[in-house]
Amino acid sequence: MEAALADLAGPAPADFAARVLQRVGIPRNRYDMYLHLEAPAGGLYVAYGPQAVTGAALGKTVPGPEAFEEAHLARTGRSAIRTTRPLPGLRTALRTGRAKGLRIDLPELTEAERAVLDAVRTIPRGQLRPLAWVAREAAVSGTAAVTEALEVNPVPLLIPCHRVTFDESGPCDLRYGPIVGAVLRGAEGIDDALVGLSRMGTVFLGSDTTRIYCHPTCAHARRITPPHQVPFRSARAAREAGYRACKSCRPIAA
Amino acid sequence: MDETAEPLCERLATDLDDGFTELVRVHASAVHAFLLRVTGFAAEADDLGQETFLRAYTALQGYSAKRRRALRPRAWLMTIAANVWRNHVRTCVRRPVAAARVEDSCESWPAEGPGPQERAETAADRALLVAALARLPEPARVAVVLRHVVGMSYAEVAEVQGCPVGTVKAQVSRGIATLRQLLEPEVALLREVTM
Repeated sequence: MEAALADLAGPAPADFAARVLQRVGIPRNRYDMYLHLEAPAGGLYVAYGPQAVTGAALGKTVPGPEAFEEAHLARTGRSAIRTTRPLPGLRTALRTGRAKGLRIDLPELTEAERAVLDAVRTIPRGQLRPLAWVAREAAVSGTAAVTEALEVNPVPLLIPCHRVTFDESGPCDLRYGPIVGAVLRGAEGIDDALVGLSRMGTVFLGSDTTRIYCHPTCAHARRITPPHQVPFRSARAAREAGYRACKSCRPIAA
Repeated sequence: MDETAEPLCERLATDLDDGFTELVRVHASAVHAFLLRVTGFAAEADDLGQETFLRAYTALQGYSAKRRRALRPRAWLMTIAANVWRNHVRTCVRRPVAAARVEDSCESWPAEGPGPQERAETAADRALLVAALARLPEPARVAVVLRHVVGMSYAEVAEVQGCPVGTVKAQVSRGIATLRQLLEPEVALLREVTM
């Protein structure tokens, strides 16, 4: 009987708390709202303020909504209230994997961390970039600053840190481990063979018709037909062979 | 007492809007569950829940920081909710309106709750229990819901009801006994039908 009674304490309607706050008249900028959206790796909890996204967590990495609320409060000091209506553009960004235009506001991070994460956001969907590339784009010295920022990335998936690889080896999933990372890359159709290429020592791929070299996952590199693919171990080797760098994926000139 | 009370009261004392948001986040579902099981109507529980928090906010505005810090939020909110509900019942007796009965509000995360099949299996039992709960006398119903649905301690329930702990224990125990009596014949009848 007692167990059956305890079972009656179902959750309140999803937006009850949000409606209470609206009715009481608490200004919207005093709290964040959040909801759980469809995404690979267990969906994504996304919290947002009045204008911009302020935090997120993959469903696989947090035990439940309460855990997400607690973590968000501990990190930002703002309460996350459950809602049912996402920030405009959020659903589209998740569906298409193009989150570059989405506003993300992370005031609790340092200047360098923000610069690195902004650079990571420019990596296109379905492509990979090494740590050194991110360091150059963010104008920070050394890859240590990059890995630090990737470890704290408070908005996984929308800031696509699963598209970053180590300089000469496999993917660099510092935030949530290789299994979740593989799921996220799989959902974007990133070819494991291309990830494998860099493992085998090939860092760049050139085309002997255009004499241009790219990162192997760059959209232009993927158009090179196998007979015309020329692998390079370094940018220097490519330059010495008379190739120039791709202007769209901007491989490192080191 | 719940372990979240300490930092919550601190927030309430330092910044009312911030603390109140946190109060709503932590306690909204408990207040809603209490009102839903006491009234039996989802729509009513919704309205009364909003009314409860509105009153709580107005009251907090008048409290000193010291008083906010000493608050025991859950018992305090439930007291307000119980009062709001009693006022509502009195108003309804004077101005009766017909309302459609809503058995259960099951809007939650899309993936989480039990699927339709499980729901159908447990729905019959749940419906019986909900109906029996609605037939309990008022004080017993409030006590049983606070103790077993919301999961508060006897001391907290006594604070909400404004009576000694012993009285609450008696109310809860008698309430449970009545529920058993109310459910017994129906369960027996169900067995006969299904056999």
